[in-house]
Amino acid sequence: MISELFSMTVLIGILASGIRLATPYLYAGIGETFGQRSGVLNLGVEGQMLLGAFAAFYIALTTGNLWLGVLGAMAVGAAMGLVMAYVTVNLQAEQGISGIGFYLFGLGLSDLLFQKLMGTVETVKGFSEIDLPLLSDLPVLGVILFSQNVLVYIAFALVPIAWFVLNKTTLGLKIRAVGENPDAADSLGVSVARVRYFTIILGGTLSGVAGASLSIALLNVFQQNMTSGLGFIAVALVYFGAWRPWGVMGGALLFSLVNSLQLWIQVLGIPIPSDIAVMLPYILTILVLVATVSRVRAPSALTRPFARAE
Amino acid sequence: MKRLKILLVGLVVMGLLLSACQASEPAPAVDEPAAEEETEEEDQEPFRIAVVMPSSINDLAFSQSMYDALLLVQEEMGGEEAMEFVYSDGMFVVDDAAAAIRDYASQGFDLVIAHGSQYGSSLQEIAPDFPETSFAWGTTVDTFGIDNIFAYEAASDQGGYVNGVMAASLSESGVIGVVGPIETGDAKLYVDGFKAGAEATDPEVRVNVNYIGSFSDVALASEAANTHIAAGADVLTGTAQMVVGAIGVAEENDALWFGTQSSQTELAPDVVVANQVYRWDVVLNEIIDLIGEGTLGGKSFVIDLENDGEVIEFNPDYDLPEDVRALADETIQGIIDGSIVVGDSAPEEEVEEGAVPTFEDTFRVAVVMPSSINDLAFSQSMYDALLLIQEWMGGEEAMEFVYSDGMFVVDDAAAAIRDYASEGYDLVIAHGSQYGSSLQEIAPDFPETSFAWGTTVDTFGIDNIYAYEAASDQGGYVNGVMAASLSESGVIGVVGPIETGDAKLYVDGFKAGAEATDPEVRVNVNYIGSFSDVALASEAANTHIAAGADVLTGTAQMVVGAIGVAEENDALWFGTQSSQTDLAPDVVVANQVYRWDVILKDIIGNIADGTLGGTSFVIDLENGGELMEFNPDYDLPEDVQTLADETIQGIKDGTISIELEE
Repeated sequence: MISELFSMTVLIGILASGIRLATPYLYAGIGETFGQRSGVLNLGVEGQMLLGAFAAFYIALTTGNLWLGVLGAMAVGAAMGLVMAYVTVNLQAEQGISGIGFYLFGLGLSDLLFQKLMGTVETVKGFSEIDLPLLSDLPVLGVILFSQNVLVYIAFALVPIAWFVLNKTTLGLKIRAVGENPDAADSLGVSVARVRYFTIILGGTLSGVAGASLSIALLNVFQQNMTSGLGFIAVALVYFGAWRPWGVMGGALLFSLVNSLQLWIQVLGIPIPSDIAVMLPYILTILVLVATVSRVRAPSALTRPFARAE
Repeated sequence: MKRLKILLVGLVVMGLLLSACQASEPAPAVDEPAAEEETEEEDQEPFRIAVVMPSSINDLAFSQSMYDALLLVQEEMGGEEAMEFVYSDGMFVVDDAAAAIRDYASQGFDLVIAHGSQYGSSLQEIAPDFPETSFAWGTTVDTFGIDNIFAYEAASDQGGYVNGVMAASLSESGVIGVVGPIETGDAKLYVDGFKAGAEATDPEVRVNVNYIGSFSDVALASEAANTHIAAGADVLTGTAQMVVGAIGVAEENDALWFGTQSSQTELAPDVVVANQVYRWDVVLNEIIDLIGEGTLGGKSFVIDLENDGEVIEFNPDYDLPEDVRALADETIQGIIDGSIVVGDSAPEEEVEEGAVPTFEDTFRVAVVMPSSINDLAFSQSMYDALLLIQEWMGGEEAMEFVYSDGMFVVDDAAAAIRDYASEGYDLVIAHGSQYGSSLQEIAPDFPETSFAWGTTVDTFGIDNIYAYEAASDQGGYVNGVMAASLSESGVIGVVGPIETGDAKLYVDGFKAGAEATDPEVRVNVNYIGSFSDVALASEAANTHIAAGADVLTGTAQMVVGAIGVAEENDALWFGTQSSQTDLAPDVVVANQVYRWDVILKDIIGNIADGTLGGTSFVIDLENGGELMEFNPDYDLPEDVQTLADETIQGIKDGTISIELEE
């Protein structure tokens, strides 16, 4: 049985599953990275994902237009982000608590809309897999990497873009400055409020797409509470990835690959109790977190509201 | 004291004056010759009706059917002198409709009609504010127990069935296309009836159904019709106002069309064969009579073929072969005299058996559920059962229920359970084994309240707790037998939540059934560790497919993700808990459906006798609490169907005993 684990079918299966599972984490995690780098912890990611997932699904279901669904999810996520920004930046609310509030709001509203507008679980024809020309014909790797749906490609493309924006642009510099030392940034004429508004709304937008990637690309259904904690794991992955886009991607892939590994362990009948198998990704994540996090410092101003000294 | 007296006298005088005014209204009775047979209208004032409709009065469908009926009623009553009506059409925004309904009511209309089931909750709020006004709404049978609301509904499956019979007789390609709006209410009823009629006439016929998700998207309806044509359909039908787009496509392609709701003949006289026309005037006349007698609501009406509220109108320009016409007439007659039964009569049969317990007041049930009432799984099975029980006991007057769903946080659920108990509900159901320890603490504090929880057999020895469980291994076994017979690759995948309780029982039963049928079969089981993680369930299903499985099953609400994967990969799916057929009609073979109403009847009967708990119940195949529902759209080989039937019978009579591992 153990030897079956190293067959080509199984390895391809694990990698392809892992990439699919990592997609929503990437969107939500990259968005959350921007927020946290500017000093804002958004625990409402899960709620934004749920509303995004519903918006995308419902729009796709009623109009048949998937891209309109993605736009809808982005708009809903951005709107949630806008309110979140007002609450954390202007009202200077405690970020952890208000984030939980946004989560519960998204959970409840998405369920309510689902009950009222749809009433039953339905399916929609989602984004289909696109074989990238030439690349998808590559042996082994082709099937794994280049035969996915478009939202998967975009998710991975976001990683270098996010890295570039954060590290190589003025905007990124401002974001990092606001997250490390908002007083200093403010004294140099950087609007802390404006930067944080931008990152929180961007985070909300990407969380909305994370939801859409589930409801109209990977699963093509909507169900109450369908994200089932993915948003919170995405927040954890930002810590895991040490607030760096590549790190977040590494964490998302590690977590997802171990998750797909445990699926295969059960399927192949390897005698590990299922309860232990499902714990594997979490155990591994905690271990890596313990090993790495002590060496990396969080943005200094994380979770600290900024009030201008008068 | 003195002031109070003056106030009282003043009030009495006012009251007298008011009643005098009212009494004087119907005084001069004028008998108009035209009105004599149909109505007892004695007012000089015309009878005034206002109606709010979701689409246009000339939509050739739902709204038009009501508008035409009002014109007929007006004519029958003797013209505008005797009856006048106003309408607001195109009220697809429910808020606007609610404002219009309230306006009409305050303007003193005798009858205000809210023509659309989406207006129900608005009406429920508005009607009590205008106790002198009569309201009617549809399509539904629910009057909310409010005594100035009438409800009306169409047994649209009946005309659908007749249309289906003709369609199957006329189709040469053997493929029929159906364009529906949203799979619910009147539309679903029509489509299901149509399908049943077509399949009863020609078991080989293929009825492709397309719900486009909209009542107004004409373009999409037209595209759906094009799709049907491309798939080989030569006969089409459809319901709701957006089908005008589809009718055009039928005409272009010389495909036949069957209409419903209103007559659609004029739109395409060359291809329309027949229409089921709603004659709401039948209901309106009854309602107007009742209002004349002083009854303002509280009753519900159904139009059907028998009461002439539904009429099959044949297009005189279409040359319908005589034998088909004769068959249609026979079918109509058969439905009227009851020799042809349309639709799912199973719940009604259940309802007949056993005496319905009676309570002095409305019997009130509250239920707390871990997931959504439409999860297609565990919570939905209880919600559906409560709806059946409500019908069984005689509607909302006799039994009402409230629910809190999505209570996956046990603390929240415990608070809800305690709240419901203190609000004096007769029966509080904690639908989830995770609520057990909370219930154990709460129940002794409310000795007058009956509690039920499941799935378990443990009442904690507390005498106001009932326990209920599902022998889910039985349906699991039957599913397993079929799965092993149908699998070509010899690999079957199972997606479970957590290896415990009901889920484990189902999975073990499934495995036992599969292995008993084919000892060589490989059943891969995957517990994903969550009841709600749809993404992981989907990935588990992908893993099974990659491992070679061509048949899948799974239990709990997160499996909706896995069903999608089965569909994409053309793998067969077996469902459990609720029917999952609608989600993937091409690949679902059968479902084990929980019918909790079977044991709820026992529990409610016991409560009526004064016993509040202390016993436990199990639903299984034998007591009808578990039903094997086969997907009529899936073409199950006869030998497998026979094997499944034999297995069900064997489990019932005990000749098959399910040996679970461990």
